Amino acid sequence: MTLDLLTAGQSAVIRRVGGSGALRRRLMDMGLGRGVTISMIKVAPLGDPVAYNVLGYQLSLRKSEARLIEIEVA
Amino acid sequence: MVAHALTIALAGNPNVGKSTLFNALTGSHQHVGNWPGKTVEKKEGSLRIGGDDIIVVDLPGTYSLTAYSIEEIISRDFILLEKPGAVVVVVDAANLERNLYLVTQLMELDIPLVLALNMLDLARQRGMHIDVRLLSARLGGIPVVEVVGNSGIGIESLKEAIRSIVRRDFAGSVHIPYDEAVEAELPALEQAVGNAGFARPRWMAIKLLEGDLQVMDQVAQNGGGALVAAAQAAMARIEAATGEDAETLLTDGRYQFIMRLSDGVLTRSIVGRTASERLDHVLTHRLLGLPIFLLMMWGVFQLTANVSAPLVDWMDGVVNGIFGRWVAALLSVTGLSGTWVESLLVGGVLAGVGGVLVFVPVLMALYFAIGVLEDSGYMARAAFVMDRAMRVVGLHGKSFLPMLVGFGCNVPAVYATRTLEHEIDRKVTGFLVTFMSCGARLPVYVVVGSAIFGAQAGNLIFAMYILGIVVALVTGFVLKRGVYRDQPPQPFVMELPPYRAPRLRDIWRQMSNRTGSFIREAGTIILATSVVIWLLLALPVDGQSAFDDVAPEQSAFGALSQAVAPIFAPAGFGNWQATGALVSGVVAKEVVVSTMNQIMIGESLQAGATAAEADAPSLLDDLGEIGTSLVETAVLTVQETINIVPRTLNLIPGLGVPEVTLLDTGAADDTTALEASLARLFTPLSALAFTSFVLLYTPCMTTVAAMRQEFGTRWALYQVVYALVVAWAVAVLIFQGGRLLGLGG
Repeated sequence: MTLDLLTAGQSAVIRRVGGSGALRRRLMDMGLGRGVTISMIKVAPLGDPVAYNVLGYQLSLRKSEARLIEIEVA
Repeated sequence: MVAHALTIALAGNPNVGKSTLFNALTGSHQHVGNWPGKTVEKKEGSLRIGGDDIIVVDLPGTYSLTAYSIEEIISRDFILLEKPGAVVVVVDAANLERNLYLVTQLMELDIPLVLALNMLDLARQRGMHIDVRLLSARLGGIPVVEVVGNSGIGIESLKEAIRSIVRRDFAGSVHIPYDEAVEAELPALEQAVGNAGFARPRWMAIKLLEGDLQVMDQVAQNGGGALVAAAQAAMARIEAATGEDAETLLTDGRYQFIMRLSDGVLTRSIVGRTASERLDHVLTHRLLGLPIFLLMMWGVFQLTANVSAPLVDWMDGVVNGIFGRWVAALLSVTGLSGTWVESLLVGGVLAGVGGVLVFVPVLMALYFAIGVLEDSGYMARAAFVMDRAMRVVGLHGKSFLPMLVGFGCNVPAVYATRTLEHEIDRKVTGFLVTFMSCGARLPVYVVVGSAIFGAQAGNLIFAMYILGIVVALVTGFVLKRGVYRDQPPQPFVMELPPYRAPRLRDIWRQMSNRTGSFIREAGTIILATSVVIWLLLALPVDGQSAFDDVAPEQSAFGALSQAVAPIFAPAGFGNWQATGALVSGVVAKEVVVSTMNQIMIGESLQAGATAAEADAPSLLDDLGEIGTSLVETAVLTVQETINIVPRTLNLIPGLGVPEVTLLDTGAADDTTALEASLARLFTPLSALAFTSFVLLYTPCMTTVAAMRQEFGTRWALYQVVYALVVAWAVAVLIFQGGRLLGLGG
């Protein structure tokens, strides 16, 4: 499944980072690599973007960006 | 050997306390400007270590060193081309793993590195323990120094580490091992890079495998076409062997290196929810998040628009009134009193200086507000809360603040775009903030509105604000969907840093640095424009009047207005009086009303200057006046600060909380005479067209100067031309459309 489907409090392991070019590079630079554990914190008041916990810090992604990341729920 | 100043660079992720450390190292020896030709701020400072003078360059905060963002390219190019003696990489101890990612990239550049481990106190609070000696050892022996930037702890050790590293030969740090398939290709590629005569073979080989566009271009242009082809063949082999692209494998390699490294270096114990997390629960709450955001933004608006206003008036009074009298008094000693020299100095130069200085309180207020929002960590949440709504019009969540500030004044609004991360977002937002109806345009609507529409003036004012917003949103849409159609969407991917108390010392430093660079860089243009306008008004074109003693109609200014006027005929205000007001409005929108006064009723603009001739107060009187008016200003500032509360409460309809009046500033200017002549000049339709034009046309020269400083001359020119065209088109559309609908001419 993809990261945007993760619900609040749930965590998962990243399997693959999709997308291309600057966006993909940026996602990987921010710590979204294979095997990294990520958990979902909350959705913004207007329904998008979403806040995640990864490598011990908080990262916010738009749902369209989270959709590019394949995960496996632990 | 010739003694030369040594340069070191400061690198690090955003929000790691890099600015604090930069301030702690360089103190007040700083210079703030922009990187050449870029919209990115460059900070440079100096310090002495032992007997050496060292220049410290603060590189933009980045997470990585790729070729995809200007900040990263700037940092990388600086390191590669300027070859600093050492790079101090600031690392947030509470966020070690992600911060080490940048460190791995710097290690590959083969430059002397010092790692400054900041925020260890925060890390401990979060139950993290870091073995500093083991960390240094696993990074190949690069010095790791613990610092607490805001208390000065560790600064001396850091200086010592810098000194020792720039003196000894750099041994090189450890190599990051990559996937077998990648390592199999690297030696041959490195060899080929070396043979082609490029420096840093391993780094270059890695970047080629990564498909780094900037490096590939550079290699290809320097006769390395075969090298690029070899790299591409290697990439294909790697992908065939592993089923993964080389870029992914390289990134994986770096993170695996970090994970192995942190094992044993970093130990975590479980702690409960931190204060920051509890705060975040409220500030980005599903229901409360948006109201809190709007309240914060309203506070910023009040601060820039109202709280700074008394100081602006004081500055204006001192420069144009009292300084004007002093200049006149000085000139009378030299016998130049009453000549064109006095007129040039008072009406041209001093007016220009005043034009620059009046913005100082506004910008200080803005930079204070931005400093608090950014330093506390709230700015990222503001973008988080607002992004969804702003994206509908193609903008970023952080575009909201500059647009709102624009309602107070467009100048700080342009500078407020600095909070946006991506250059395109910055430029697009900067392009459209000028359509936000600023405070200086309001008097025009009020005077024209009450002259033509009487009690309905309020509707006109409201319509103007709405029109500005609509034009801004349409412009943003056109830019994003038209001009930047082919640009990939800017990633939102943003860190939400932990909250912390804003550090006032750093904020103050940023306020004064940035305001100083405004005075230096925007000041010249403003001064020049002011002198040009003075010259136009002083130059006679009728062949009879003397220089600097000419009625507006007979001056070059009048001739210019008359020549331009026919352009506005289709919009219903093709007379030279309205045009003249618009021409002078290019200087500052608040001049539109006073120019109309001057032209139509012959009232002098320089009321202060003429009063001075009649009865000149003594120097002591003047100094006394500066003092008392400053006290009054302080009282008024307090009053405006208190009044934020009733003004905010009064946003709720039906709630009439009275505002506090600590000091009565007297009645507003009397404009009844002007209104009478305006009623003869305008019809309701042409008045509507005129106010729309005033709203939309060329922003004032200070805003143009600010845009030039932030986005470059070309972008500022595009904006000026665009605004003129749009303003004219809208005015004509209103006038002609209205006539077609039979609303009368």
